Amino acid sequence: MSLLEASFGFGLVTAAVLSIAAVGFTMQFAVTDVLNLAYGAVMIVAAYAAYALNHAGVTIWVGVLAAALVGIVLSVALNRFIYTPFQRRATPIAVVIVALGMLLILEFGLQAIVGGTNVSYSLSEGSSLKLGGLQLTMQQIAIIGIAIATMVGVHVLLRYTRLGKAMRATAANGSLARNCGIRTGRVVTTTWVLTGALCGIAGAVFAMDSGSFGATSTDLFLVLILAAVFLGGPGQPYGAMIGALLIGLGTEVSAAYITPSYKDVVAFVLLLVMLALRPTGILGVRT
Amino acid sequence: MKLVTTSRGQVSQRHVLRRACAVLACVAAVAGLAACGSSSSSSAAPGSTLTFADLAPFTGVDAALGPIYLASCKATTHAINAAGGVLGHQINCKSVDTRGDPADAVPAARQLFATTSNLPLIIGVTSDEAASVVPLINANKTVVFGMTGQSEFDSVHFEYFYRLVAPDLAESYAMVAIAQKKGYKKVALAFGNDIGSQTFVAPAISALGKAGLQMVANETLDLHASTYRTEAFKVVAAHPEVILTEALGPTAASFLSEIKQLNGGKMIPVIGTSATVEPAWYASVKAAVGASTLAANYLADNTAVETSGPAYEPFLQAMTAVKGEIGGGNFSTYLTAPGAVHLYDGMNLAALAMTKANSTNPSTYRPFIETIGNGTPGAQVVHSFAEGTAALKAGKAIRYVGPGGPTNFDSFHDSTGIFQIDQFTPSGEVKVVGSLTPAQLRALG
Repeated sequence: MSLLEASFGFGLVTAAVLSIAAVGFTMQFAVTDVLNLAYGAVMIVAAYAAYALNHAGVTIWVGVLAAALVGIVLSVALNRFIYTPFQRRATPIAVVIVALGMLLILEFGLQAIVGGTNVSYSLSEGSSLKLGGLQLTMQQIAIIGIAIATMVGVHVLLRYTRLGKAMRATAANGSLARNCGIRTGRVVTTTWVLTGALCGIAGAVFAMDSGSFGATSTDLFLVLILAAVFLGGPGQPYGAMIGALLIGLGTEVSAAYITPSYKDVVAFVLLLVMLALRPTGILGVRT
Repeated sequence: MKLVTTSRGQVSQRHVLRRACAVLACVAAVAGLAACGSSSSSSAAPGSTLTFADLAPFTGVDAALGPIYLASCKATTHAINAAGGVLGHQINCKSVDTRGDPADAVPAARQLFATTSNLPLIIGVTSDEAASVVPLINANKTVVFGMTGQSEFDSVHFEYFYRLVAPDLAESYAMVAIAQKKGYKKVALAFGNDIGSQTFVAPAISALGKAGLQMVANETLDLHASTYRTEAFKVVAAHPEVILTEALGPTAASFLSEIKQLNGGKMIPVIGTSATVEPAWYASVKAAVGASTLAANYLADNTAVETSGPAYEPFLQAMTAVKGEIGGGNFSTYLTAPGAVHLYDGMNLAALAMTKANSTNPSTYRPFIETIGNGTPGAQVVHSFAEGTAALKAGKAIRYVGPGGPTNFDSFHDSTGIFQIDQFTPSGEVKVVGSLTPAQLRALG
């Protein structure tokens, strides 16, 4: 098995996890106008909820659903009790700072409860799939499957449903959408529900993929999510998918040939090059 | 300033005297407040409570370290308080979070000094923050028992800095000596990208050369990354017989589970540093690779610690007394964790030195740490604070020998004991499976 093929396979898995998270993040940003930097913290809280169930003997796949539920509850609560009041009174940059504060409150609050020891899900070792140079475990294949299903679901939602069209309209111009009779408040709340679910699922698959995780494990991953989102064009779900794929493959394939310590630097070099060539990102539009 | 004058235009001596008194009173008040803010340079008031501060990471990737030291602090101070305290002072423990980052550690240490009265001792101080906070602690003339193995402390003298853990250089040689002893020929290195882990790499490479072993891979693991598949693949592809490693936080668990997965479900044997003989490391790696796999494929170097005998019994009693206050993980691993054992010894040495000096002032009691640690001819060997205090009251010279073994401080206040080889059992206890002689280490240095 060549290193290139193997790292390509690993990159696909990283891209799969990243795409679920990045699509949720960018939809949230597009529709609600909140750059929710507490997203990574919600992910890890959801991952711990799945762990609590898994540790009690429940299969991890039920845990993933529980993580989605926790993601929904936390995201809706964040919007209802934190972001909305601040959006009414504060400047957008102040809301970003509030989100950053929530990230720290949630992370350290979680760490105070679970402690500094890292945990792992109980997963059956199962068999590996060897396809040419690729070598993936059944869990990794399942993660890729979840990511594909999520991407297809998001595509169907945005293209073929009334809700999706209302979300796109609200994202494009909230005032105009409201004047056209779209209940933008309800659309925003629904968006927090949907993206909260994606955030929770992303947290659980992130933890599955990592093998071991702690309360602060998503710190760097949040930065990769931001890179994927801005690479694809902020507020562009399809852009986030492409951004996640490029960053997932870029980081893992580069790690095969240069010191792996720099693999995250590669993600940002990709981002900088893209923004220099196309400041709006791959699918971003100039407003 | 305009002077007060009398009706005759002359300065009133009475007014001048009043002003001088007021100024002196202000100076005295300010000096008093300063003394309250930082009392490390003076002895504590009779009957007041002393504070031992655990300055270490409680959050961040090394968040597991601070709580282990705190467990040791609670156990030691519980035993000291039960024996009547130090010179009548009860002791409490205070945790100070450095986040494992020098940028956070320095303000945290400054705040500690500014807000803590009666602070005769600091413990903890890992390699994450030692280089930045030890000079600060030294400048504040407070004794510190550090957990850093960084080699720079082998040759730079800090008057108030002591350590009972092995320098990283010696640990690197010990890991290579274990590999040599086990007959491995092809070795991979996989160390975290933090200061504390990277310090092992260069001496390990040098020692491998001297031992005639082949280094087939050398991977640096980013402690903030979530997966290490490509790094693990490169290691597995190099076909090492053993991996030398230290990577804390979730890194070791993720990396080793990926090694196992990419090696067809078979673990490659691992030799860890003494930092891996810690409850948190065991708990996370066990969860990721399985207890029996870890037990069958793991060895670590560690400075020799007692697991029975007169020094171990009081230590066991002290730890057991605070068992309910100790966090998660297998309790028995705390009994051999370097962070628990050596800091217990350090705190007992400091407390006995205070008793001997009849002062809690670090500048006064500090020299007695070496006197009691290294012993003097004819000194009575004691194994606990209670035993030591009784002997001191009887007017005897003492030498403290705790569960970490006899101490022999050199001119840099380093005391490196004999190395042992540790292994985890499937139930999580630490088992000593061998030892390394000083000659074996010298051959690699």
